[in-house]
Amino acid sequence: MANIIECKGICKSFGEKVALDHVDVCVPEGKIFGLLGPNGAGKTTLIRIINRITIPGEGEVLFDGRPITQDDIEKIGYLPEERGLYRKMTVGDQAMYLAQIKGMSAKEAAAELKKWFVKFGIESWWNKKVEELSKGMAQKVQFITTVVHKPKLLILDEPFSGFDPVNAQLIRQEILALKEQGATIMLSTHNMESVEELCDNIALFNKSKVVLTGEVDAIRREYGNHNVEVEYTDSEGRHTLVATPGEDRNAVLKELMDKGAVINSYKELMPRMNDIFIKLVKGEE
Amino acid sequence: MRLRTIKVVIGREYMSRVKKKSFLVTTFLVPVIFAAICVLPTIIMMLAEDKDKNVAVIDQSGVVMPFLESSPMATYTDYTDVASIEELKTGCKNMGLDAIVEISPLDSAKNLSVNTYSLKPISIDLKDNIASNVNDALEAYRVDSYEIADLKQIMNDVKADVKVSTYTIDESGQSKISSAEVYMGLSFILSTIIYMFIAMFSGMVMQSVIEEKASRVVEVLVSSVKATELMLGKIVGVAMVALTQFFLWIVLTAGIVTAVGGIVGFDKIAGSGDVEQISQMTGMDPSMLDAAGIDADQIMAAASGEQSEIAAVFDTLKDINWAQFIIAFVVMFILGYLLYASLFAAIGSAVDNEADTQQLQLPVTAPLLIAFFIAIYAFKSPDSAVVWWGSMIPFTSPIVMLARIPYGVAAWELALSIALQFVTFLGCAWVSAKIYKVGILMFGKKSTFKDLWKWIKMK
Repeated sequence: MANIIECKGICKSFGEKVALDHVDVCVPEGKIFGLLGPNGAGKTTLIRIINRITIPGEGEVLFDGRPITQDDIEKIGYLPEERGLYRKMTVGDQAMYLAQIKGMSAKEAAAELKKWFVKFGIESWWNKKVEELSKGMAQKVQFITTVVHKPKLLILDEPFSGFDPVNAQLIRQEILALKEQGATIMLSTHNMESVEELCDNIALFNKSKVVLTGEVDAIRREYGNHNVEVEYTDSEGRHTLVATPGEDRNAVLKELMDKGAVINSYKELMPRMNDIFIKLVKGEE
Repeated sequence: MRLRTIKVVIGREYMSRVKKKSFLVTTFLVPVIFAAICVLPTIIMMLAEDKDKNVAVIDQSGVVMPFLESSPMATYTDYTDVASIEELKTGCKNMGLDAIVEISPLDSAKNLSVNTYSLKPISIDLKDNIASNVNDALEAYRVDSYEIADLKQIMNDVKADVKVSTYTIDESGQSKISSAEVYMGLSFILSTIIYMFIAMFSGMVMQSVIEEKASRVVEVLVSSVKATELMLGKIVGVAMVALTQFFLWIVLTAGIVTAVGGIVGFDKIAGSGDVEQISQMTGMDPSMLDAAGIDADQIMAAASGEQSEIAAVFDTLKDINWAQFIIAFVVMFILGYLLYASLFAAIGSAVDNEADTQQLQLPVTAPLLIAFFIAIYAFKSPDSAVVWWGSMIPFTSPIVMLARIPYGVAAWELALSIALQFVTFLGCAWVSAKIYKVGILMFGKKSTFKDLWKWIKMK
């Protein structure tokens, strides 16, 4: 599978402070890519470099295999961590403006926005000023403005912060739907559950470096101890049993079955992303 | 730089301001006020004249009454031996009197005092009319008391009243009557307006940058538009707001002045005035002049003096090449605005909120203020060295040059000033863009000049 984004040897420092130190990240097309790491690890700086907001000190970013240009920016949708809209502008004017600076024509923008507003059930907000909206409402509008121009690549910095559980679920569904339609999504998040749920690949940042990158399943397997959990029911009720890699698993199962127990489930125990995160980040200190 | 995106940015900057209530209010109110300033004095002069005031006079001096000739303004009736002052005061209302004038007997120094009594305060015009009549009467009486033959004639002969008429000549030696005051006024008004415009609209750019930064919308914007495109779009958009306002002001003011002028016969004043009109303007009564013994020639001389001055003002105003001033204003405004707006944009990008701008703003607002002070000086002495240099140095030149323009500026001076201004703008815009690019994404830290310098050096 081709990579939509390839970051090669990216370095960036602000004065004395090194924000990114020879970072390599490859984002496969059509996948959801998670950028993880503690605050200040360099995630936002990398996102800004991909968006061409910041120029890297060293290294290059490839988009679809070519060095990224300003025109490619129109194929990216970016939701920054610090959300913001013009407070005095109406929702409609604002959405139209943000869609148009992404290269849409006014007509096209109006039609697409309309669809999204209907989908989110917020048509009545069109003529409201942003300052009249609640924070959650403004976030919805901002999400729409991020995706309205059908970006090939969606970069979401902490997309779930600020949403209540119902709306967070709505956004989660939209992210998956966009992936279905072929978009690639990069998201940075502290929410490890959503990483497990959504992400296909991740890069874990710590202290300006990528300390771990790859497919989520592979990573979890790699960091797991390959223990297997067996749940069975015998005459005394339900039990669980953990088999370590050293044991002969078939023998374990056979033994249980011979005893007349019913196997309810058999699964490899995967470590939580949360644990991997903490292990790696703490281990470096 | 992508033109399409810049256009979209310009569109937003322009529309969001033009649609604001405050823009509409200032755009439509200012011409009304401006036109009122132009037209109101004429209207007041025509409407506020006192008419048919009934004034009772008790003249104990015996010399004033003959000079109190009745005019359309007031009818003076002699009550000297008819009623006492007390009777007039108590009967004032019943007798239909508007005012009572009590003139004291002459004292040993041939002086007298005048009291007026009225139910409602009398107008300044009426008071002036009484005072000048009494003065004339007293002067005439004193001259007579010298008992020198023809003294009255001599007095009139020696009275000097020289009017200085100013003419401008073109290269072929054709002279045109002109009013120096008009040029001074024009110089002052132009430099004040351009100063206000530059300060106001470049300040608007700064506020807009701060607003985008404070609301954090800027990060989304620069992920779609390059920072320099955003800055440029903003500066151009606000400039278009300024020009829209300026042209609407000109059109509306001209419209109102013409309309009102047409209704009240505004041109009459500028035309060849008869004695009636002139005396109206000078607040004197023609018959009164006669009574004072001033002969007709002198009236005409005085009248034409008055007339030529007012005519000169109007002739000058008519002769002014307005298109030239409008073009000069627009060019100078655009250049000055671009320079200051780019600097203000950089300042706005370096702060989180407006309260923090004070310190950084000083080096930018100072030259603007200095320019204004030089411009004020320019309308007194347009040819001084300070003014010349002020009209060349880019940071002061738009304002000072505009102040000089009514007095005539050589083409090469204008060209040099504009060229310097433009080159400086390019330099400042380049530096500002560097600061702006970094500044708009810096949050939470109060930036100093040292930081700005670092940003400029940053690759």
